[in-house]
Amino acid sequence: MRTTLTVVAAILAATLSTGCGASSPDAAGAGEPASPGQGRGRGGTLVVGMTSSDLPNLDGVLNGQGFEGTRFVGFQLFEGLTRYDLSRDDRVPPVTGALATSWTHDDEARTWTFELRQGVKFHDGTPFDADAVIFNLDRYLQKGNPYATAALQSAAAEYAGTIASYRKVDDRHIEIVTKEPNGHLPDDLTHVYIVSPAAVKRGDFGSHPVGTGPFRFGSIRQGRQLELLPFAGYWRGAPKLDRLVLRPIPDPAARVAALRAGEVNWIEYPTPDDVAVLRDAGFQVLTNGYDHIWYWILDTSKKPWDDVRVRRAANYAVNREALAKDLLRGTADPAYQAAPRATAAYDPQGDVYSYDPGKAKSLLAEAGVPGGFDTTVVVPTGGSGNLTPVPIAESLQRDLAAVGIRVTIKTIEWSALLSQEASGTVPYGADAIAQSTTLFQSEALLPLFLGSGSPFWTGHYSNKNVDALLKTAAQSPDLDGRAETYRKALDLVTRDAPWLFVVNDRNPRALAPTVHGLVQPKSWFLDLTTVWVGGR
Amino acid sequence: MYSFVLRRVLLALPTLLGVTLVVFATIKLVPGDPVTSLLGPAATPEARRELVARLGLDDPVPLQYLTWLRHALTGDLGVSIARQRPVTEILAAALGNTLILAAAAFALAVAGGLALGAAGAAFPGRLPGRICDALATAAVSAPQYAVALVLVALAVGRLPTGGMHDAFAPGGAGDLLAHLVLPAIAAGLVPMGLIARTARTALADLLGGDLVEHLRARGLPGRVVLAHAAHNAVPSLLTIGGLQLAYLVEGAVFVETVFSWPGVGSALFQALSQRDLPVVEAGVLVVAVCFVGVNLLVDVAHAAVDPRVRA
Repeated sequence: MRTTLTVVAAILAATLSTGCGASSPDAAGAGEPASPGQGRGRGGTLVVGMTSSDLPNLDGVLNGQGFEGTRFVGFQLFEGLTRYDLSRDDRVPPVTGALATSWTHDDEARTWTFELRQGVKFHDGTPFDADAVIFNLDRYLQKGNPYATAALQSAAAEYAGTIASYRKVDDRHIEIVTKEPNGHLPDDLTHVYIVSPAAVKRGDFGSHPVGTGPFRFGSIRQGRQLELLPFAGYWRGAPKLDRLVLRPIPDPAARVAALRAGEVNWIEYPTPDDVAVLRDAGFQVLTNGYDHIWYWILDTSKKPWDDVRVRRAANYAVNREALAKDLLRGTADPAYQAAPRATAAYDPQGDVYSYDPGKAKSLLAEAGVPGGFDTTVVVPTGGSGNLTPVPIAESLQRDLAAVGIRVTIKTIEWSALLSQEASGTVPYGADAIAQSTTLFQSEALLPLFLGSGSPFWTGHYSNKNVDALLKTAAQSPDLDGRAETYRKALDLVTRDAPWLFVVNDRNPRALAPTVHGLVQPKSWFLDLTTVWVGGR
Repeated sequence: MYSFVLRRVLLALPTLLGVTLVVFATIKLVPGDPVTSLLGPAATPEARRELVARLGLDDPVPLQYLTWLRHALTGDLGVSIARQRPVTEILAAALGNTLILAAAAFALAVAGGLALGAAGAAFPGRLPGRICDALATAAVSAPQYAVALVLVALAVGRLPTGGMHDAFAPGGAGDLLAHLVLPAIAAGLVPMGLIARTARTALADLLGGDLVEHLRARGLPGRVVLAHAAHNAVPSLLTIGGLQLAYLVEGAVFVETVFSWPGVGSALFQALSQRDLPVVEAGVLVVAVCFVGVNLLVDVAHAAVDPRVRA
C-alpha cells in the first residue's frame, strides 16, 4: 500500500505544482472562473471543450481523434506547402499558398514545382527551407526512415501517397512528381505538414512538436488539457489570443454545463436540443455547411434494392425537411442529392428528391413491389460526424414504413462497423449501412466511396461513367473544370441513387458572448488567428 | 501470518495471468481493429494493410499474446496504437487521477455509510432510524450516470462540473478539491449505501444478540459493550469496504465520462472503442492487480482482526 500512497502523493504534488508555463493575465479570484481577457480589446484565453475523449496526438500527421485533432492541433501547430483559406464564410475555402508562395505544373499535372516562402522560421527559431521540405518528405515516404514510425507513414500515405519522387531544385524550389496525374495535389499538400527537422532529430517530437503554424506548443496535462500559445513570429501575423486551451469533454451534457458554468468559453457540437436553450441564454451558436453527407449505402446487388426505381422510391419517401428542422433543430440541411451543399460540385438544379410519398408508392408499384418489402440497415451508435445516428435512422424508418418499406434497424459500434466496411463486408449481412462522410476533404477518396471495384463496401455500386468522370476530375489541375466534372459525376450518382441521401451537417458550435472574431467557414477546419476573447 | 500472505500472493498470480488471457482473446473476437481508429475512416486500404503488417497484427493470435506477455513480464507494456505513446505513461497518469477520485469517494462513502448505519442501528423502528435506512437504500439504488447528470444540472455556476482544475486560472489544492466534490459524490453514493446497510445489519445483530446480552449481564458499562460489539462488526465491514474500494479503483466509467475525469475507466473505455490492445491489456492488468491487491490487504487485515480466518 505504501507504493500506492507514494503514487497518490506524487500525483497530488504534480497536480498542485504545475503552474502552467503560460502567463495567465486573466487570473481572477481563486475558486471562481475568471472572465477571460477582461478589459482588453484583444487577447484573452480561449478554452475549447472538444467532443473527443482524449487530447489529439501531437506528432504531425498523426493527430487522430476523428479530424478534431487536425482542426485544433494539426492546422494550428503546423502548415504544409499549401493551406485552406478559411477567412470567409460565404464560399468553399480555396487552397492558397502557405510554405509555398506559388506553384506550376506540366501539362499532364504530374510534375509540380513549388516556390518556397522565404524568411519563415519554425517555432524553435530554425529556418524553414528546401532542406526542411525534403527532410519531411523523406520522413513520410522513405521506407526505413530513422525518424518515422509505421503509424506515421501509414497516416501520411493518405495525402502524400500519390507522390512518386521529389527533389530540391535550388534553395527556393522543390519539385514533386506524382505517380499519376494528380490535379488536386495542392489540396492534398495542405495536410502534409512540414515540421522542424531539428525538433524531430531531438527525438521527443511527440511531446514537443514544432512547426510553422500560428500557434506553438505550450504545455500538456495528459488526458486533461493542451495549451497552445500564439507564435509571435507567424508569417501571416501573430494570432490575437493570449492562450488557446483545448479540453476533451466527450459527454454532450457535460460540455453544455461547462460552457454555462464558464469553465470553457467554446464548445464543439452542442446536441441539437441544446442549441435553442443556449441561444436564449445569450450564447452564440454558429453553424455553416461543409462537405459532409449523412446517408445510407444501399446494397444495389440485392433484391429489390437492385432496381433503381426502388432506390429512388426510398429517396422520395423521406421527409428531410422535418428531420433537419424538428429532430436536428437546424443543425443540418436536407440533402436532396449526392453532392454536399458546401462544395463546388453542388448545383441546386441537382436537388431532385423532394418529399413525395405518392411518387414513392407509384415507383414501388412500377418496380413490382406495390406492397413494399422488408429490409435491414446497420446503424452505428455514434462516431465522428455521425450526428445522432440512431434517432435519425428511426425517423427515416417511420417515413419509409409509410410507403411500405419496412426497415429493421441493427445497431453496432462505429469502430466495428468501419473496419468491416473497410474490408468490403457488411455486419449482420444487412441490406444497407447508415453512416456519414466528408467527400472532398481528401479528394483522392471519392473513388473509394463511389468507384467500381472499391475495396470499401459501396453497396456494389458500379457505373463506368462515374468512374471515368471521377478519374478525369482527379487529374484536372483546373479548379473550375474539376468542379464541373465532379458535378457531372455526382449528378449521375444522384440519379442512380445507390444511397439514400439524408442530410448535410452544419457543424454547430456554441461560444460565450465574450468570444469575438471567429469566421465559421464552409469547412470542417478553422482559422483561429482572428479570434480573441474580451468583454462584451 | 507470513505464510498466509505468501500463499495469497501466489494464488493471485494465476488469476492475473488468466485475466490477461481472457482480455486478449475477447478483444480479438470482437470485430473492429485499431488501425481504422488510428488512420481514420478515409484511409486507403493499402495504408491500412501496411500498418496492420508493420504492427504485427497479422501474426497468429497466440503468437501475438506470447509476444505481449514476454514484453509485459520484463516491464515493457508497449506503445499505444492509437496514441503512439508508451502505455505506462498513459496508465500512470490515469491511475493517479483515478486514485485521487477513488480516495475521495471512499472517504465520503465510509464516513457517510458508518454514520447512517450506526444511526439506523441505534434507533431501530423509530423515525430517525427509518430515515437513515431509507437514505441508505436510496443511495444504493441511485443510478450513477443519472446522479452525475443531476449533480451537474444542480451545480452549474456553483461548483466546477468537469475536469480537474480551472483552465483560466490554474489554481492549487483548493481548485482540485472544488473539482473533486461532484465526481466524489457521484462515485461514492452507491458504496456509501452499501456500507451503511452492512454496518446497520452488523451492528443491529450484535446489539440485539447473545454477545451483548452476555456482556451486559456481566455488568460491563455501555461504552465497553459498544467497543466489543464494534470489534465483532469489523470483519464484515472490512469485506464490504474493501470490495467497494476495489470497485472504485476499477474506475467509475460513467462518473469519469460525465465529469471529464481522465482516469483509468475512461482511458480503458476509449482504448476499447479504438481496439487499442496494448492499452486495454495493460489497463485491465493494472485494474486486476489493484483489485487483487486490495482484496489481499482486506484478507490480511481480516486475519489480523480475526485469527480464525488464518487457518
